[in-house]
Amino acid sequence: MDLQDFLAMEESRERDELIDLRSLDLVSEYDSHLMCPICHCPFVEPVCLQCDHIFCGSCLSSAITTFRSADSDEFPCPSCRNPTQKVSASVPRLLINMCDEIRVRCPLITEGCREIIPRGHVQSHVEKYCGYRLLPCPDNSCDQMTRSKDVGVDQKCIHRVRRCSHCEEDVLEHEYEEHEKELCPVLEVTCVDCETEVTRGALPEHIESCPEVAVPCAASKYACPVKIRRAEIAAHEQSCPIVAMGPYFETQNARLKSLESSMRHLQQRNEIFEDGLANIRSTLVESTRLGASSQSVGQSTQSGREPQSSARVDAHSDDPADITASVFSSNATTYLLSLHESLREEVSQLSHAITDLDARASMAIMNECMRIKEDIAHTNAAVNSVRMQVQWLMNPRLHQGTRGGAVRTNSGENEEARTHMASSAAGPSHASGQSLGPLRPRRPSDSGREGTKL
Amino acid sequence: MGSIKRISKELTELTESPPEGITVELADESNVYEWNVIMEGPEGSAYYNGKFLVKLSLPTEYPFKPPTVSFATKIYHPNVTNDEKGSMCLGMLRADEWKPSSKIAAVLQFARQLLSEPMPDDAVEGRIAEQYKNDRGRYEEVAREWTRKHAC
Repeated sequence: MDLQDFLAMEESRERDELIDLRSLDLVSEYDSHLMCPICHCPFVEPVCLQCDHIFCGSCLSSAITTFRSADSDEFPCPSCRNPTQKVSASVPRLLINMCDEIRVRCPLITEGCREIIPRGHVQSHVEKYCGYRLLPCPDNSCDQMTRSKDVGVDQKCIHRVRRCSHCEEDVLEHEYEEHEKELCPVLEVTCVDCETEVTRGALPEHIESCPEVAVPCAASKYACPVKIRRAEIAAHEQSCPIVAMGPYFETQNARLKSLESSMRHLQQRNEIFEDGLANIRSTLVESTRLGASSQSVGQSTQSGREPQSSARVDAHSDDPADITASVFSSNATTYLLSLHESLREEVSQLSHAITDLDARASMAIMNECMRIKEDIAHTNAAVNSVRMQVQWLMNPRLHQGTRGGAVRTNSGENEEARTHMASSAAGPSHASGQSLGPLRPRRPSDSGREGTKL
Repeated sequence: MGSIKRISKELTELTESPPEGITVELADESNVYEWNVIMEGPEGSAYYNGKFLVKLSLPTEYPFKPPTVSFATKIYHPNVTNDEKGSMCLGMLRADEWKPSSKIAAVLQFARQLLSEPMPDDAVEGRIAEQYKNDRGRYEEVAREWTRKHAC
């Protein structure tokens, strides 16, 4: 068909559909090829163009009216812009079926319908089957709406209010029956036990006091198995031995309870004490070990050094006896104090000994120093005297050297004789004079003389 | 009214699974026809690290009429007018080339693509297009400078 016909057909299509298929809530995913490129929804009443592009009929009609320039008989395809003149309503059945298969929620979900149905069935579901579709009330005089499932076979208006003849309460017509049978508080009911007629409202109270209702004996908590009618329970309680024992049981229970609580209390205290005792014991063991070790240390450092140390060792050897005694007397504090005292004493003795030793050492050092000083003085004097002698010995040699330089023309014989004479003269005066001989060449004058000699 | 349905559908799709470097939101919650798009400069282009505010405006006849795209953030680009409008010239957005089947996501992705690869033959700023063709280094320098100044 050409564009005019198509537009006219779309125009004339009945738009009385209750449901907008495009605004449905889609549950299942659908193939993107089923989506109309214009409205981006699965096709609704699709039509096909010459170029094989498919659109919803309504989408295409609005596209044509928008695109077509002033009554020309062609328009560009919204997908490929090919000029188009013909619209074909025959779209493959397959495509329409696939679109109709898409699952959607019933649009009456707002009313409470939770059904999920194929999109193709939505229209009929909402029109015919959905129980939540609102219908005008069957009674023409009533202007309210009724859910279709609430409309009974008898087509009565459910909105009419009926006053309960018993309790004067306004009840909706369709709920009246239920109200009358089960809910109305004024209605008389029969007590199942005493068969008296009471109103429904008063039934709970009645059951509390009904003489026919079976109640347990007052002593049931002390294991009286009797459970009889309220009317007879008084007689039973008169004779029930357990009821008579009741007060006694009561007091016994109370006593037990108080004893239990005090026992718990005592247990806690006991635990605390045990902890403390264990602590004390562990400190004692530690200090015993400490005392023993300190004692042995004292022995090793002081034994055989001074006579007083042996006495102290004796005093110490008494200590273990003291310790055991105090352990058994379990007077820990006193023992610790005494231990502390003895330790303090030992420390002061040690410090005395140390000062004594210090004094001795410094004395000895002093003495040694004096002696060494004297020795040094002696040595100094000796060195000085030696130096004097050497000086004295050197003097003639020096004089001789200067003289030799002055009389250079003298014969070798003369020279030799003089040297010999000088050495022989030095020889007897001091032994060190001999050793000075080899030192001769060190004199610059000597070397100069030797040079002249060569 | 069909347009609102389709627009909101596209908006939902774009917010739920946004394309790379593109974030969309409505400029005004009560008006589905005006969108604000934040476009990140594509990596490797002179606009990298820049965040450009792009205004997308949809006609009431959408999808039968094309949307318009304009840069609210100043950008040095041959295809974007260098004025306060900052309108972008996209071939697919021209009235005679627009197709109702085109989606907004495609439009935005195409616009972002244009940031990486300007089309100097289709330019609205001839001077920039000239520079892009003849002095690429200088063009990139200026574009980077503008990006740093306006879009960071």
